[in-house]
Amino acid sequence: MTRLVLVRREQVLKGGQPLAFLIGLVFAMLVGVVLLLISGHDPLAIYGRMVEASLGSPRAWSITLNRAVPLGLAGLAVAVAGSMGLWNIGAEGQILAGAMMAAWVARLGEGWASPLLITAMLVAAVVGGALLASGPAVARAQIGVNEIITTLMLNEVALRLLQWLIHGSWKDPESHGFPLAPMLPDEARLPGLFERAHWGVVIALGVIALFGLVASRTAWGYELRVAGSSGATARYAGISLKRKITTVLILSGGIAGLAGGIELSGNADRITEGISAGYGFAGIIVAALALLRPSGVAAVALLFGAVQVGGLSIQTMGVSSSVSTILQAFILFGAIGAGVFSRYAVRRVNNDKTSSES
Amino acid sequence: MTEASMIGLLSATVSFGALLYLAALGELVTEKSGILNLGVEGMMAIGAVTGFMVALETNNPWIAFLAAIVATAVFALLHGLFTVILGAEQVVSGLSLTILGVGLAAFLGKGAVGRPPGAVLAPVDWGPLSDIPWVGTIFFSQSPVVYFAVLAGVAVSLLLTHTSVGLALRGAGESASTVDAAGYSVTAIRLAAVAFGGAMAGASGAYLTLSLTPQWAEGLTAGRGWIAVALVIFGAWRPGRAAVGAVLFGGLLALKTRLQTFGVDLSPILLSMLPYLLTIAVLIVISIRARNRPSAAPAALGQTYRREER
Repeated sequence: MTRLVLVRREQVLKGGQPLAFLIGLVFAMLVGVVLLLISGHDPLAIYGRMVEASLGSPRAWSITLNRAVPLGLAGLAVAVAGSMGLWNIGAEGQILAGAMMAAWVARLGEGWASPLLITAMLVAAVVGGALLASGPAVARAQIGVNEIITTLMLNEVALRLLQWLIHGSWKDPESHGFPLAPMLPDEARLPGLFERAHWGVVIALGVIALFGLVASRTAWGYELRVAGSSGATARYAGISLKRKITTVLILSGGIAGLAGGIELSGNADRITEGISAGYGFAGIIVAALALLRPSGVAAVALLFGAVQVGGLSIQTMGVSSSVSTILQAFILFGAIGAGVFSRYAVRRVNNDKTSSES
Repeated sequence: MTEASMIGLLSATVSFGALLYLAALGELVTEKSGILNLGVEGMMAIGAVTGFMVALETNNPWIAFLAAIVATAVFALLHGLFTVILGAEQVVSGLSLTILGVGLAAFLGKGAVGRPPGAVLAPVDWGPLSDIPWVGTIFFSQSPVVYFAVLAGVAVSLLLTHTSVGLALRGAGESASTVDAAGYSVTAIRLAAVAFGGAMAGASGAYLTLSLTPQWAEGLTAGRGWIAVALVIFGAWRPGRAAVGAVLFGGLLALKTRLQTFGVDLSPILLSMLPYLLTIAVLIVISIRARNRPSAAPAALGQTYRREER
């Protein structure tokens, strides 16, 4: 009797990941076709509309770029932690924390000059995200508390903190009883770049490029990778694991927090509990698809931005925007499935003890 | 505080406790086998929408409940396919399952928003037992799913500690190669555990739309899947302790909507942070204690097993 097993390739197939990504994309599109046909829509018309709305004009590009900003920063946050073998599942909460701090500064800084106010808001956003991540960071470094769960739990805590503020002390007295924070003043809005795009696009690209350089060109980045691949090696090399774990997780939180600040200052009228719209979780998928590489993060974030913008645009055609959510998940599953074959080869083996034990 | 409102609070505590317990029990078994599934929130959404939609079609709550369990078990196997067979990162796959489940549920349930339920699981009438003051309302007038949750908890507890299947399951999560050498298929055990986790999350979701809040709306699960994940840690991977945690967290959910009636001047939103903060606190205590004794978590949790790389 023979069976099929996966055997690790001696070398990872060259170009395997971009190819896997492409296969994942095609797979997701096919699933989308089935979903659309089932619900009685014309897939070609829907996909045409999605591409048109996300990439078909400078205006469409500007909206897609804006959308890619929080996705890319959240993806980078996950990738930064991931480069050391740590999981920051808390980007969602850190984005909210960043947005909350930025909104708080916007309240305090009434009457400040716009560049000063925006800078202060973004710095506060970084601090907010970093603060929320600092608990899990210290707990992980000092007593080995699993950072996956602590960061995950803090997502829910941050969301409720924001709800509490919006329903309570931050509620706009002129909102007629609705739990809404007041509108941001014009001075708190990030200046525009072209069409709808704002300066957050440049900031995000800058941060991603900066980390890419630091990770690949500096001793600090090298130490990070050593510590990530083997704690024992790192200790022999005199790298302080505890300090590295703490700084990397706090840095990761700060990057996610920045995404929240930019989202508030660039895209939103006011802070709402929906300000993150799942960017934190999508960021984990972005980072995974990019194999934790900053350059890959930017590319995948752009594509996910397009899928999300396209998904929102088809609501006018009577299609649920959840189609884009479904597509994103299937892109990942498709890519994971295809990616396995760049690392593993399928072999046929005899299913008796001697050969399977070899 | 009136007697009626106190009875109402305790009765709701049992209801919410069962809701959380079902999903947590499934996740507990999954984690015991060595697989972390962060897709609980998405699986609950799938169970909730399936239960509601099937009830609309068939007008039979039991067929709807069963359909939700089966559909969610199959859905969970997607996580099994990617993590157990293809060896993908469990955290990433599980979160994708949540994203997919929530999105798919919203897509499938679009036509059901705002519609009255096709059928509900009516509370069980235990005859004279239901008439006992306090106890009758709190324990003997619940949805059948509550008793199902209690039975499932006892069954899982016995299975894990007293059967060879349970031993093999725990073995898969502690030391997969040992279980493999003993002649069990780690792949089969883990796939079965993932499917069971899905089935229980599906039962929990269906309980939501067939009993607790018999309606469908996007985002109906409202983060309760994450509480279920938290409960597994809170309960130190033990069905009994998880049950205690479920009642505690269920009580917090029940209290949340009733704070005002009890004249307590605390924001219900702040109260709803407690399960997550408590879980973090428990995790810290577990980690401090783990320095001196073995950790409560399955040793191989989150690790892919490949026999050819043993």
